[in-house]
Amino acid sequence: MAHFDTEYQRLEASYSDSPPGEENLLMHVAEGAKSHWHHIENLDLFFQRISLYLIKNGFTCMLLGELFELVYLLFVVCFTVFLANCVDYDVLFANKFVNHTDSSKVTLPDALIPMDVCSARIRDNGFVIFVLIISGVFWLHRLVKFFYNVCCYWEIRSFYKNALKMSMVRRTNLPYATWQEVQARIIEIQKEHQICIHKKELTELDIYHRILRFKNYMVVAMVNKSLLPVRFRLPVLGEVVFFTRGLKYNFELIFFWGPGSLFENEWSLKSEYKRGGNRLELADRLASRILWIGIANLLLCPVILVWQILYAFFSYTEVIKREPGSLGARCWSLYGRCYLRHFNELDHELMSRLSKGYKASSKYMNCFLSPLLTVVAKNIAFFAGSLLAVLIALTIYDEDVLAVEHVLSSITLLGVCITICRSFIPDKHMVFCPEQLLRVILAHIHYMPDHWQGNAHRYETRDQFSQLFQYKAVSVFILEELLSPVVTPIILIFCLRRKSLEIIDFFRNFTVEVIGVGDTCSFAQMDIRQHGHPAWMSEGKTEASIYQQAEDGKTELSLMHFAITNPHWQPPQETTHFISQLKERVHREAAGAPSETHPLSLSESEPRSLVANLLAGPSSLASVHFGCDNSLINHAVAGSDGASALRSLSPVSSSLHLRGSLSMAQRASGFTGKAMRTDAHTVSSGSSAWEGQLTSMVLSEYASTEMSIHALYIHESRGELSRHTWHRRESDESSDSIPDEVRSDHNPQSKSFPRSHTFPTVVSSPSATSTSANSSKPKGQEEEKSQSQRRHSGPATVRVARVPMGGWAVDGQAAPRHHEAVPEESSEDEMPPHIHKVSTLNAIDITALLACAGPQ
Amino acid sequence: MNCRSEVLEVTVEARQIDEAMLALLHTILLHRSTGKFHYKKEGTYSIGTVGTADSDCDFIDFTFVRVSSEELDRVIRKAVCEFKDGLNNSGSDGMGQISLEFYQKKKSRWPFSDECIPWEVWTIKVNVVNLANEQERQICREKVGEKLGEKVINVVEVINRNEYLPKMPTQSEVDNVFDTSLKDVQPYLYKITYQITDSLGTSVSTTMRRLIKDTLAL
Repeated sequence: MAHFDTEYQRLEASYSDSPPGEENLLMHVAEGAKSHWHHIENLDLFFQRISLYLIKNGFTCMLLGELFELVYLLFVVCFTVFLANCVDYDVLFANKFVNHTDSSKVTLPDALIPMDVCSARIRDNGFVIFVLIISGVFWLHRLVKFFYNVCCYWEIRSFYKNALKMSMVRRTNLPYATWQEVQARIIEIQKEHQICIHKKELTELDIYHRILRFKNYMVVAMVNKSLLPVRFRLPVLGEVVFFTRGLKYNFELIFFWGPGSLFENEWSLKSEYKRGGNRLELADRLASRILWIGIANLLLCPVILVWQILYAFFSYTEVIKREPGSLGARCWSLYGRCYLRHFNELDHELMSRLSKGYKASSKYMNCFLSPLLTVVAKNIAFFAGSLLAVLIALTIYDEDVLAVEHVLSSITLLGVCITICRSFIPDKHMVFCPEQLLRVILAHIHYMPDHWQGNAHRYETRDQFSQLFQYKAVSVFILEELLSPVVTPIILIFCLRRKSLEIIDFFRNFTVEVIGVGDTCSFAQMDIRQHGHPAWMSEGKTEASIYQQAEDGKTELSLMHFAITNPHWQPPQETTHFISQLKERVHREAAGAPSETHPLSLSESEPRSLVANLLAGPSSLASVHFGCDNSLINHAVAGSDGASALRSLSPVSSSLHLRGSLSMAQRASGFTGKAMRTDAHTVSSGSSAWEGQLTSMVLSEYASTEMSIHALYIHESRGELSRHTWHRRESDESSDSIPDEVRSDHNPQSKSFPRSHTFPTVVSSPSATSTSANSSKPKGQEEEKSQSQRRHSGPATVRVARVPMGGWAVDGQAAPRHHEAVPEESSEDEMPPHIHKVSTLNAIDITALLACAGPQ
Repeated sequence: MNCRSEVLEVTVEARQIDEAMLALLHTILLHRSTGKFHYKKEGTYSIGTVGTADSDCDFIDFTFVRVSSEELDRVIRKAVCEFKDGLNNSGSDGMGQISLEFYQKKKSRWPFSDECIPWEVWTIKVNVVNLANEQERQICREKVGEKLGEKVINVVEVINRNEYLPKMPTQSEVDNVFDTSLKDVQPYLYKITYQITDSLGTSVSTTMRRLIKDTLAL
C-alpha cells in the first residue's frame, strides 16, 4: 500500500473518549450516595431491628442486656459445676468437724474442696465434661451472635441518628419516642432515600407487614383458624391448651426458616407451595420433615430439660423467696397472647393493651375463689401467723433463737405459707360482678368468644378465660420448664404431622404477593371483602366463604385497630367506607345519647347504647354538661390551653372527638377534604393550633381508648345480631339486623331482652321493683332461658342473684360520689379499690373505661 | 428481596440458544450501560461516548443492537457458552434459566465483607425443543425472531418505567455502582448466573449460607 503524504495527520494522543475541549462539555453532577441507607437489602430484618431498638430503649440498654445474658449463661454453668463438684457438703452441714486452731467457727472457705482435687474430680466425670462441652459450644455461638448483633445495632443506631434524626442521648433518658413517630419518619425517609426500591412511598401497612410477616401467619392466622394443635382433650383434665415457647419455636422452625421450610427466604414462599398441583406430595414431605424435627427434639430432650430446670432454679428461687405472692399471680399465657393479638399488631402494642386489662382480669379471676378454700386458708393463715409471730418475737428478744436448728427455715416456710394462704382470701371489699368485669376486660383485650357474653358468672367461662390468663406458676414453671421439652416432640410427631395437608392448603390459599413486600398472609391485608365475617358488621360487604372468614371478628377488629393506631394510613376504598361507617355509628351513639336523653334515664334509649352510656357517664361527671357534640368541641377549641382543657374533660369522649377531628384535619390537609363527619368540620380550623401540643404519645393513649370503645361496640352489635337472628327464628318477626334499624322497629320486649344479659348497666331506675334485670321482664322464652340458666349453672346461681342487688343497694349513695371522684381524672388508677367495688354496675364500666384512658 | 425481578421466557431450538441469549442479554445491557465517566473535580463528571453495533443472527431471523464493546461481548459470550454447554450436557428435558443481576456494592465495617445488593434481576427461562425436519426449523427460525422482537420491546418498556436506579456516584464510589474494568464502556455492576433445570431449587451452598445467617440473626 502506498503512503500518501497529506496534511491530514494522525493525532498523537492516544485514543480517548474525552475530547480536548473540556469547557464545551456537558458536565454532570454526581449525586453520590448521601447516606448508605438507600436500597436496603433485607428490609424485613431492618424494620424488625428498628422496632426492637425502639422497644428495648436504645443501644446502650441492648448492649448491656446482651452482655449480661452472656455473663449469666457462663455463670449458671460454672456455678452449677462448682456446686456439684467443689463443695464439701459434710462440712457445710456440720456433719464433719473441721479442726481449727484459732477459732471454733466454720468459715466458708473450709467447705471448699481444694482446687486440684476439685479439678481432678471434674476431669474424671464424663457427664460433667459432656455438659461443659455442650454449653461451651452454645456459649461460643452466643458470643458470635452477640458480636454480630452489636454490629447490627450500631448500624441501626446510626440510622436513628443520621437518617431519622432522632437523638440518642435523649432516648436514653426519656424513652418516649413512640413507634408511630418513628414510623412516620421512616415513611418520610423513603421519599428521600428509597429504602425500598419497588415503590416511591411506603405505607404503614407495608412496614407492619414486613415486621410481622411470620407472626401474622402463625401467631394470628393459624391460631385463629385453629390450625395449630394447641388445644387438647385430655381424659381427666378436660380441654387443655398447651402452647409454649419451645413449641412455638419448633413451629417457626418447620414453617418459616428451618432447613427445607416452606419459605424460600424471608419474603417469599417457595413456588411449588403456591401451586395446588402436587399438594399431596408436598404434604407428605412436610410430614416427614415434622417427624424428623420431632425426633431431633426427642433426642435433645434431656439436654433441654436439664437446662430449663437449672435456668428456672437460678432465676426464680430468689424471686419466690422475696415475694412468694408471685406464685399466685397470673399472667397472660402464650396462647392468650396469640388468641388476643390483632393482625398487624406489634409486640409492644399488644403487651400494653393486655397490661391494661390485667387488673380487671385478675379481679375477675379472684371472683371465683372457692369459699371453702377461703375458710380453710383463713384458718391456716391464722395458725401459721401466730407461730410466726411467736418465733419473731422470740428472735427479737434474743438472737440466739436463730441458732436453734431449723428456726430460720421454719420462719421462712411459715412466711411462704401465709402468703400462699392470703392469695386465697379475697379482698374484703370484693363484689361479685363478673359480667361487668368481663366487659371491662373486653374493652382492653378486644376478643372473646360469643358464648361468654351473659355467662360470665359460670365456671366454664372462668375456666376458658383462665386458659388465656394463667397462673404464672403454672404457665412458667410447670408448662414451660418441665413439661415442654417432653411434650413438644409428642405434639409434633403425633398431632402436627396429621395436619400437614391442611397446613399446605393454608399456605397456598392464604398467601398473597404484595408488590414491595413479598408474600404475606392474606388475612393480614385486613380486607373485609375477602376475609370478613358477616356476623361482625361486615354483612353485605364480605364475599368470603366460611373457610376464608376469620373467626371472632378478627378481620374487622384488626382493621379498626390498625386504622385507629395509624390515623395517617389510607386504606383502600371499600375499607375506608367500612371504617368511616363504623366510626360514624359510634360517633352518633356518642353524640346522640346525651342530647336525646338524660344520662340517668338511659333505659329509654337503645340497649346497644352502652357506648353512649359510657360517654355520657364520665362527661356528666366531669361536670361539662354539653348538649351536643359540637359544643364540646367548641369548648375544647375555645379553651386557651386546649390540651389541658381537653384533658380535664372526660377522657373518653374527648379522645373520640379529639382524634376524630385531628384525623379530619390531617385528611383535609392531605388531600381533598372528604366530608366524613360533618360535626367534626367545625374543628378542622382550630385543630392545628393544638396539634403541636398534643404529642403522638397523648394521641396514642387516646387511641387505645377509642379502640376500646369500638371493640365494645363491635362486640355489642355482634351480640345483638346473633340474638336477633335467634329472636327472629322464635317469633318470626322481621327485623333488620343492623342496629340502627333496630331502634325504631322493635317492640319493647325484644328491645329489652338483649339488655338483660349484656347490659345490666342500662337498666337505670334504681327502684326496688326492678331489682334484677332478669325479673323485670318475665316473659316468654326469656324467663325460660334465665331459669334454665339457673338450673344449669349450679352453685353460681346464688351469686347471680347477688349481682344486681349488690349493685343497686349502693346505687343511691354512690351516684353523687362520682361527681367528686372524677375531675381529678389522672388519678383514677390509684382510686381506692372500694370505689370500684361499691359503686353501681354502671359506674364500674365508667371507671374502668376511665382507667383505661388514664395514664396506666 | 428488595429488588425488582423480571422474567422472560423463550422457547428455542438447541442451536439457537446462544444467539437468543446473546440477543436478550445484550439488549438489556445496552440500556444499562453508560460511557466512561471522567471526573473533573469531586462531584462533576462528563460521560464518554458509547458506540452501538448491529449484530445479525445466523440461526434466527433477527438483528439486535448491542454496545460495540469487544470486551463486554467476550464476557457475555463466555457466560452464554457455558450455559449452552451445560444445557446440552445435562441430558434432561432442556430447561434452564440464565439470570442477569444488577447489583451495587455497599461498604461494610471491618468484620464483614462488602455486601452485594441486587436491585434488578432479569431471569430468562429457556425451553429447548427438538425439531424433526428442515421445514419446521425454517418456521421456528421466523417464530423465534418474532418472539425475540417482542421481548426486546418488553425490555425497553420495563427500562422506560423510570424506577429505582442507583444514584450517580462520586469518584470514590464509582466502583460500587459501575463496572469500571472495561475500557470503552461502563455498565452497571452485573453478574450472570445460570441454572440448568429449575427443579434443582436452591443449591446446597445457598441453603447453608442462609442457615448460618438465620442463626446469627435475631
